[in-house]
Amino acid sequence: MMRDARRLVDALRNPASVEMLRGSEWTDLISMARAESLIGALAHRIDHAKVPDRIRMVLQDAVEAHDLARLQALWEADCARRALADYPGKIVLMKGTAYVAADLAAGRGRSIGDLDIMVERKDLPVVENALLDAGWEWVKPDPYDDQYYREHMHELPPLIHRERDRMIDVHHTILPLTAGPTPDAGEILASAVALADGLYVMAPADMVLHSVAHLFADGDLAGGLRNLWDINLLLREKAEASASFWTELDERARLHGLADELARALRLAAALYDTPVLPSLAGKATFTDNFYVRRLLARDGYGRETRKLTRLAFYIRSHWLRMPPLMLARHLWIKWRKDGKPSG
Amino acid sequence: MTQKYRAAPAEDLIWHDLDSMKLLYHRPSGITHILADPAPAIFEVMEEAALAATEIIARLTALFDIESGGDAEEIILARLEELSLLGLVSRVPG
Amino acid sequence: MGKMHHILLKIGPAAFRIASAWRQPLDQLAGLYRHYPAPGEGQVDFTVRLEPDKPWRRHIRPSVHIGGDFWLPDAAPLPLAQGLLAAEMGMNLQMALGWRRHLLLHASSVKKDGKALVMTGLSGSGKSTLSAMLAERGWRFMGDEFALLGLDDGKISPFPRLISLKNQAIGAMQNLAADDRFGPEMKATPKGDIRHLVPPQEAVTRMEESATPALLLFPRFGHARELREMGQAEIFVRLTQASTNYVALGESGFRALTRFVDRVPARAMDYQSIEQAEELIDGLWSKLP
Repeated sequence: MMRDARRLVDALRNPASVEMLRGSEWTDLISMARAESLIGALAHRIDHAKVPDRIRMVLQDAVEAHDLARLQALWEADCARRALADYPGKIVLMKGTAYVAADLAAGRGRSIGDLDIMVERKDLPVVENALLDAGWEWVKPDPYDDQYYREHMHELPPLIHRERDRMIDVHHTILPLTAGPTPDAGEILASAVALADGLYVMAPADMVLHSVAHLFADGDLAGGLRNLWDINLLLREKAEASASFWTELDERARLHGLADELARALRLAAALYDTPVLPSLAGKATFTDNFYVRRLLARDGYGRETRKLTRLAFYIRSHWLRMPPLMLARHLWIKWRKDGKPSG
Repeated sequence: MTQKYRAAPAEDLIWHDLDSMKLLYHRPSGITHILADPAPAIFEVMEEAALAATEIIARLTALFDIESGGDAEEIILARLEELSLLGLVSRVPG
Repeated sequence: MGKMHHILLKIGPAAFRIASAWRQPLDQLAGLYRHYPAPGEGQVDFTVRLEPDKPWRRHIRPSVHIGGDFWLPDAAPLPLAQGLLAAEMGMNLQMALGWRRHLLLHASSVKKDGKALVMTGLSGSGKSTLSAMLAERGWRFMGDEFALLGLDDGKISPFPRLISLKNQAIGAMQNLAADDRFGPEMKATPKGDIRHLVPPQEAVTRMEESATPALLLFPRFGHARELREMGQAEIFVRLTQASTNYVALGESGFRALTRFVDRVPARAMDYQSIEQAEELIDGLWSKLP
């Protein structure tokens, strides 16, 4: 029984390493990869390795499931494009949908849930109304949640399409307004790159930094191995494509106030996935890097979350990150009161 | 200016007859639609041209036993708008 | 982390690892599935996890949370006495959400003369009981929960897991099948009273053999005896509703299901007793080409 996700990370970094796996170790690898939403990436990555028959079928299933998810994500983006055809501003695709729309390595086998787009903050009401007209509806009828989203988050409350049952998150920046760093949303929109159909994706450095912001700020490092795998692939592909990439990344990280987060992400990616990184940007390893690695690998061969204490520490930390302390207290109090009330 | 419409490319569509209805599997979305008359006939006459509703009606009356005039244009326009909301037909500036 | 035990099971084409914080449900599974083959090399398609709802619920009023490779948020936990049901629900969940090698129909199936009869319908239609009864009356049992429709060959593959008997069906089957084929009786579960029944031996030894579907029935128990023809559009829509993975399979699901609707004759069947159903089915079956 595997006690942490080390073998999964090994397999992604070095596909030939899976040929050392014996018997039920394969089952452990699959359960961990599914739990970390990395099964599609793993399937593509070890495509050429020698794999037992049943595991080969499991991986083929994952490839096909993700192929369809890719189609559906692109279709959902196209639905939003049509709904917003009269909107003159830029519509920037984010995260998984952006990776597949721009045909990046990070999109191969990546699971994609909601559609995330970014528009200019002042245009949120226009965009919201156009989506409501085209069949999207509010998910949360709760006025507190609604007000909380609008005042403190970096997005509209989620909308769901009444026929296709798919969610859209409309963002106006890449981090909650209550988080420490304040990325320059205007700059992100200004530098966004047009795709053939008129939608946009972020410029390379901004795309990496959004992924970095997502890794640290969104939750308690849950799904961290997958987010870090995105970062690894983006860094490799973008650095290969442009000689000036590292310089741009450095400048944009400073501009958005994400230099420390970037440095940490670079060190973690290098440590776990052997990502080639610019040493001057990555900075010196710190003692707490080990703590992050322990947290990222906290998954056993049954697919269970392990290291509850490490997770708890990150959970509390993640709430401090996202909200100033007084607001956190208010949020937890209101949540507690609501959850405590008998419903119905 | 007259609104024109263009059907999704034929290679994106898989048709299957079910009694009096037609099933349509739309490859880009992975969504299966069940279409009743006159929607399948609209696709049949549109081919891949950009057409206004009046042109579609002209083609329908030539091919099928459909009365022109009356509320035909209203009906066809309504179907075209529904199909364009589903992404099966796109609106082309006329 | 709390210690986990596990066993491996192979049912039809699918292999499972059932991991549990408690031995009891695994011991029950091992007993009931004792005639099934083991998955080779310890490699499986899915892991099911039965874990305490909260850490202290391992020993104090133990309550079983159903998890695994595929899971649903808000799955209600079950008391440990219903651990066997939790394991079966966990396996169904993996199939429903994760299986892609067949189109999955929420249907029972039995086989005779080398051809398969597929029965689908809402819970309470009697499709599961019918398959169990027919299996004691000359038909070979293929499955009571999922019929696996081949994406390329259009054949039905067996998925003969334990038969899940509910309420009155329990007593009816106890009159027909030997005692050692029954699992523990679980009273007042979220699905009513449940007792599992081991399928006839032949269903297990020949669970790799697929069969061409020859008849599709939509049974409805408790209504006056009647056979009704159905339009293809109605059949298609009801089968998409009965399939857990039609949408997830995309184009190959569409092709498999349209071929099935084209080729397999279908009837709605209302009946009030197993004898009535058997008579109606025999009548239809004898007239098949």
